[in-house]
Amino acid sequence: MILSALGSLGALVVAAPVIPGVATKTRALLTGRRGPPLWQPYADLRKLMRKGATYSTTTTWAFRLAPLAVVATTLLASAIVPLDGRRGLVSFTGDAVAFAYLLGLGRFLLVLGALDTGSSFEGMGTSREVSFASLVEPGLFVALVALGVATERLSLTGMFGMELWQRWPVVAPSVILLAVSLFVLMLAECARVPVDDPSTHLELTMIHEVMVLDHSGPDLAFILYANALKMAVFAALILDLIVPRAALGAWGSAAVLVGALIASGIAVGIVESSMARLRMPKVPLFIAGGTALGLFGLILLLQ
Amino acid sequence: MIGIVIGIFFIGVALMLAGAVAAGVLRRHAAADRIFNLLVLGGCLTSGAAAVAVLITGTRAAVTVPSSAPGGNWTFALDPLAAVFVATTCFVGACCVAFGTPYLAEERAHRPVWYAHTVFAVLIASLTLVVTAQAVVPFLIAWELMAIGSYLIIVFEDEKADARRAGLIYIVATHTGTLGLFAMFASWGARASDWSFAALAAAAPTLPHHGGVILALAVLGFGFKAGFVPLHFWLPPAHSAAPAHVSGLLSGIVIKTGIYGLLRVVTLLGGSPPLWWGWAMLGIGVVSGVLGVLWALAQHDIKRLLAYHSVENIGIIGIGIGLGSLGATYGHPGIAVLGYAGALLHTVNHALFKSLLFLGSGAVYRATGTRDMEVLGGLAKRLPYTWVAFFIGATAIIGVPPLNGFVSEWLVYVGLFRSAQSRDTLRLAALGVPALALIGALALACFAKVSGVVFLGHARSASARDAREVPRTLLVPMFVLAGACVLLGVAPGFGILAVVDVAATIGGGTPNATPEALQVVRDSAWVSGVALALLALLAAGWLVRRIALRGRVVRAVETWGCGYPLPSPRMQYTASSFAAPLLSTFGRLSGVVETSSASAFHTEPVDLVLDRSAIPAWHWVRRAAMRLRPIQQGRLHIYLLYVMVAVVVLLAYLALASPR
Repeated sequence: MILSALGSLGALVVAAPVIPGVATKTRALLTGRRGPPLWQPYADLRKLMRKGATYSTTTTWAFRLAPLAVVATTLLASAIVPLDGRRGLVSFTGDAVAFAYLLGLGRFLLVLGALDTGSSFEGMGTSREVSFASLVEPGLFVALVALGVATERLSLTGMFGMELWQRWPVVAPSVILLAVSLFVLMLAECARVPVDDPSTHLELTMIHEVMVLDHSGPDLAFILYANALKMAVFAALILDLIVPRAALGAWGSAAVLVGALIASGIAVGIVESSMARLRMPKVPLFIAGGTALGLFGLILLLQ
Repeated sequence: MIGIVIGIFFIGVALMLAGAVAAGVLRRHAAADRIFNLLVLGGCLTSGAAAVAVLITGTRAAVTVPSSAPGGNWTFALDPLAAVFVATTCFVGACCVAFGTPYLAEERAHRPVWYAHTVFAVLIASLTLVVTAQAVVPFLIAWELMAIGSYLIIVFEDEKADARRAGLIYIVATHTGTLGLFAMFASWGARASDWSFAALAAAAPTLPHHGGVILALAVLGFGFKAGFVPLHFWLPPAHSAAPAHVSGLLSGIVIKTGIYGLLRVVTLLGGSPPLWWGWAMLGIGVVSGVLGVLWALAQHDIKRLLAYHSVENIGIIGIGIGLGSLGATYGHPGIAVLGYAGALLHTVNHALFKSLLFLGSGAVYRATGTRDMEVLGGLAKRLPYTWVAFFIGATAIIGVPPLNGFVSEWLVYVGLFRSAQSRDTLRLAALGVPALALIGALALACFAKVSGVVFLGHARSASARDAREVPRTLLVPMFVLAGACVLLGVAPGFGILAVVDVAATIGGGTPNATPEALQVVRDSAWVSGVALALLALLAAGWLVRRIALRGRVVRAVETWGCGYPLPSPRMQYTASSFAAPLLSTFGRLSGVVETSSASAFHTEPVDLVLDRSAIPAWHWVRRAAMRLRPIQQGRLHIYLLYVMVAVVVLLAYLALASPR
């Protein structure tokens, strides 16, 4: 059991950068370009880890803590998720709260790191980031409550693991709605189109990217990696909702997990090449739409 | 043994009062501060030790003073519920006193500082008496002592019009609340044999509507003190007018006596209030939580912002109380324990981190002379230790691991998720969980704003640029409080164990822990594990970066400014602009007035209850009353006419109404 959970965590940690790579490639192919190779994110991380670093003279320890914090909190949060479809490495009563709030801690420290630079761009980015995150959080918890109702369990292992599959035939309609809702929230939480455009080069239109303008070298590598890992965690949560993996062995379920990361990269790429980024005032509506899907899922369960 | 415990408690109270007297007698004597500190800290330590002893043994220590005055004997008791509040009061009170003496020492020259010290010591003593009084008369006396003590110290800087106005609003609000308490105790006491709490509890089954009237009056009376929306309007002005260490105690402890009162009334009524009351508490909690944090986000005065956050946290506690009472009434003792335990632990936790944050704001005020966030900035470099303490408080208040705020919110969440497991309580989870999540996320945004605008970036004014770190005497109390926040977050078992038995008795159960409570106690080890793993991962990441950077070029340059050659601190995002996107999402509910031009953007917060409802309503009443003015002519024969008309009307009434 533990070995299978560890194996899946290992697969997630190693394969996380695949998602942005696949997304970029998909977008390139769909728009008639060849695009960078699939392993480009790995090459970027390697390059950044071998570089020196530049720190602004304005910054203090908050700026240097931020990259470490986002990686540490995202890693810990992913240890709570049942990545092998059965159980999480860490599992306890109410661990769903710890999952969401660990991501919150990472965000808080990243935001403080950005504000530490005293740059108006980064102030703008943090302001947008916390605004949209404030709307994503209730949506995420709506999905968690709905799964709590569906499975009558208190931990992510129960909500996304085996107990869900015993009841799946009964609760399938709402679980599928929840999966879509989580996909919408993932796009918002991980700063992808239509909420944020990772490929933009204009600071004024950025959200996540503009918060990390002044990070460089290994620090930037940490942040890029943590963002990929966060997407991978959300992809794993969605996978747990729609594909049963209890019958597969440790290897099989890790392989399916990697397949899911690739699939979600393709999905993100399709979304990004088929629509433009929304205007900032429209973003809350988009997130509210995702939350509403979760609420419909919850209402279906109340019947 | 029991006699000794309550005796020790009263020795502590006597020491605090002796401190009050000493400060009043010695005044400007060179040793005045030292003797005052010694007496009050000793008193807090003594009373706090008695409370901790009660918490550990779980026994009730009581003393009854015979009294022939109306209302019967005076009973004081240190039971576990009171002990939670006494222990917190003594700890936070001690830290605030230790901070307050050196904090006010600088104002010795132009202010009667001894007066603030005397009132403050009496305030702490009255707080411990409020929660230990077990009869109506001593309770109301202690309650009034606390209310008036708070008033006297809110108007300490009475040369400022703001402070006088805040004091006036406060005294009106607190006495309106007390009026509710009088009505509550009078209608309850009328059915009891005497006015001790024991007799009130015995009379509980005879109350009409299952005590519904009593509970409604309790929400009014105690709700004013606790600061539930819309009864919160006195809180932000009062808590920002008082000196920082007093604000810490007011926000940390004094408003919690409202929570204590609600919990005590629920306990005396037998633990399962009617359903409507539980739902009302949950609703009040959600509204207070969301609006409290939203309004906090709009503030630019750091102390007003913290005060609005108290409204938010009181909302979270209200959600816990609502959950507890609904759990008990629906017949799920496990949910009841989790709700009440979460509410109690959040009361303790909030007392710790909110007083820490207020002390931090005091340190900022001492160093810069302003509380306006828009002119601060960059203090992390000037006040590095204050920043660390404030950072710990901010991380604790947003409720994330590994600090104490997470633990109590986790308890409430677990209770809510448990209520999702059965049909009858499911609606509770569907309402409570998303609301709590929204509150948490908005609190994160708000504390990112405070920390970022005040401490990070560049200084926005000369006073921030030239600030100097505060002396060690001010730093030590802050770090003691920060240490408590870390301890209760990394080792949450202590805190949870201390409150679960109390929570079970509030819900009308026995102190023997329910399986649901046992499970959170057991699983709190995982919370510790997560906290430690987080620290280990941070250390590992630090090491990796260190190795990666070995032998590489590490440069220090200016923040990237798009190539603009003349960056200025004025280019930074301000507090107004930081909060603008969120506030505009919530529209008029966020209560700000925007002023913007091509080169400037500013938002000005208004309190929707006080400025937009209460004061206009009062003006309307006054205008309506003016219409009655012509009847007061000041001429004797007119009044004689009134008297005659009255007599004629009365006679006519008697003639018509008397039976024939």
